Amino acid sequence: MTPELFPALITGAALFGIGIYGALSQTNLVMLLMGVELILAGAMVNLVAFWHHLHPDTPAGQMFVLIVMTVMAVEMAVGFGVAIARFRAIGSVEMEEAAELKG
Amino acid sequence: MNLIAATILAPLAAALLILLLRRIPLALALSGATVGLLASLGLLADTVAGVSNEIQLPGLPELPLSLVATPLTALLSGLVAVIGGLVVVYAIGYMKRDDEKVRFFATMLLFVAAMQTLVLAGDWILLLAAWELIGLASYLLIGFWYRRPEVKSAATRAFLYTRSADLGLYVAVFILIADAGSSNITTTLNTGGGAATAAGLLLLVAAMGKSAQTPLHDWLQRAMAGPTPVSALLHSATLVAAGAILLIRTAPMLPDEVLLVIGIVGGITTLVTGLIALGERDLKRTLAASTSSQYGLMLVAVGAGVPLAALLHLLAHAFIKSSLFLGAGVFQHSRDSTAFSELHGAGRDRPWIFFGFALAALALTGIPPLSGFFSKDAIIAAALASSYAPLFTSLVLASTLLTGAYMARSLRILWQGNTRHHNIAGLTWMGAGLAGLVILAAILGAAFPAIETIFSDPLPGNNVAVMLGLVAAGVGLTLGWFVPAQRLLGPLRPWSQRGFAIAGGFNTWVVRPALAIARGCERLERALYDEVLALRQLGLNVARGCERLERALYDGALALGRLGLSLGQAVRLGDERGIDGLIFSLVRGMIHLGSRARRLQSGLIHRELAITVVVTALIFATLLIPLLAF
Repeated sequence: MTPELFPALITGAALFGIGIYGALSQTNLVMLLMGVELILAGAMVNLVAFWHHLHPDTPAGQMFVLIVMTVMAVEMAVGFGVAIARFRAIGSVEMEEAAELKG
Repeated sequence: MNLIAATILAPLAAALLILLLRRIPLALALSGATVGLLASLGLLADTVAGVSNEIQLPGLPELPLSLVATPLTALLSGLVAVIGGLVVVYAIGYMKRDDEKVRFFATMLLFVAAMQTLVLAGDWILLLAAWELIGLASYLLIGFWYRRPEVKSAATRAFLYTRSADLGLYVAVFILIADAGSSNITTTLNTGGGAATAAGLLLLVAAMGKSAQTPLHDWLQRAMAGPTPVSALLHSATLVAAGAILLIRTAPMLPDEVLLVIGIVGGITTLVTGLIALGERDLKRTLAASTSSQYGLMLVAVGAGVPLAALLHLLAHAFIKSSLFLGAGVFQHSRDSTAFSELHGAGRDRPWIFFGFALAALALTGIPPLSGFFSKDAIIAAALASSYAPLFTSLVLASTLLTGAYMARSLRILWQGNTRHHNIAGLTWMGAGLAGLVILAAILGAAFPAIETIFSDPLPGNNVAVMLGLVAAGVGLTLGWFVPAQRLLGPLRPWSQRGFAIAGGFNTWVVRPALAIARGCERLERALYDEVLALRQLGLNVARGCERLERALYDGALALGRLGLSLGQAVRLGDERGIDGLIFSLVRGMIHLGSRARRLQSGLIHRELAITVVVTALIFATLLIPLLAF
């Protein structure tokens, strides 16, 4: 156990917890998406920390994080697209008023 | 072409053509009768010249049908043809106002053809057939005006009388054929003994029916309901003559006893019907009764053993009587009646017709030189020469006297009285037919010696007979002209007017036997009916048994059906309650589950996120617990 592992794990867990809190507590779609970003960010920190801890000499696996970040960006693009469309149609992105989106 | 065939087929063909074409009946009838007449005269000439004519037709096995022209049959055929032809000429005038000329002339010609067949027939079977045909034709003609009420009964009566007497002919023919083994008439004439007696008596019965001899004389007077040309034909050459012709033809076969019976029947008839004629109130009925009387004279001649005299009288009478009837027909048209009460002075209306009528009447009475004189003279001579001279002669003389009386009475009634002239349609034709017949009736006597030579059978000549005949005729004429008929008849008057209905007449002799036969038939029928009824009962019982069986079967089938039905119902119930219920509850559960699951899908992202987090946490915890435990 290297001494740098714990601060990284704690940071990841904090990010994850803030993300969960954000996703669950905010009703604004934008805020909600930001919570989800934080969850993912926490997960990525965890991944990088464990990878570095287990294989300090082979950083190639950490390329995964780049892919996840790309996916995040795409996800955000879709999410904000939905938000903009909704705002244009309704004039609000409050998710408590969007039960009809269940289809 | 054979003359016999032409004689018969010409009128027959004309009759058929009239019926088929249904137009120009007069021309067809006239041409048919003329061709028949020419053929018949040719036949007569052939026969006199010694050329024999004969036709053989295939008939029953070993009993061929044949038509022969002997002097007798050829002479009779000529008579039928001449009278038929002249009556047809007359009828053209007589029927001018009638609408049913087609039916009338067709039947008349059929009648002539049938009569030609009868006289020319050379065997009994053909003769029987022709005998039936003339019966039928006369029935049709007497009933020609069938819409008038009394006509139907008259036609039926004539038919019944002649038909019942025809039974005699049938039995006689059977006896003759059985005895001789052949149906040829000439062959059967050699029959002798008991068969001849029986057959002779039966033939007499048949002749009595057809020639209207007492006691079967009633129908002839009633047959006056038919048209007058029919009466003329019927009385002179055809139906009534058939009886006398039958006896004349079979005379060589008849034994003495039968001849005596024939003579007596003829004698009684001539007397009785002479009295009836004297008492009649109707011209045509007088003539009808006179016909019976004259045929009675012929039977006397046959009975006296001189059939030739009967034949001569048949010929003379044929022309005389048809003339009288044709004259009466003119008077009938001129006064629309034949009752004497209407005919007073009718003769004055048309002197020429009356002249013809009177000539014929005198000929019938037997005044020389008219034909009737010679034939009646021959009969009186025959009666005198016979073995029963007193009986026969007195009967014949009485009849001659009566003839004079009733003819003179008719002439007197026709002449005395006022004229009532009105025009008659078709008088020319009627006059032509009448003139032809009257001339023949007047001069036929001249031909008698020739006929005697043909038959090479000289008649018994007798001056006493001539004198007696003339005296009787003269007395009769004088009495008839000057003394009213009622006075002449005296106590016999009611009898005469009742038609001398012996022992009930028609009723006893025809109606009662016919009714008895009918009753017998009814009894037979009733017995048969009972049989049928019993059979029906049996059938019903069988049917009832069958029905019971069927009902049982039906019940069985019904029960079976009901069982099947309830089984089906049970299965259906099982289906409904069991399988169906199971499936339905499954479906219901699914629906329920679905609605539950749907509730999760709220569309509220937070809730769903929360659920996701909780569930993920739970899964995580579940995975972690074993890790922590070990």
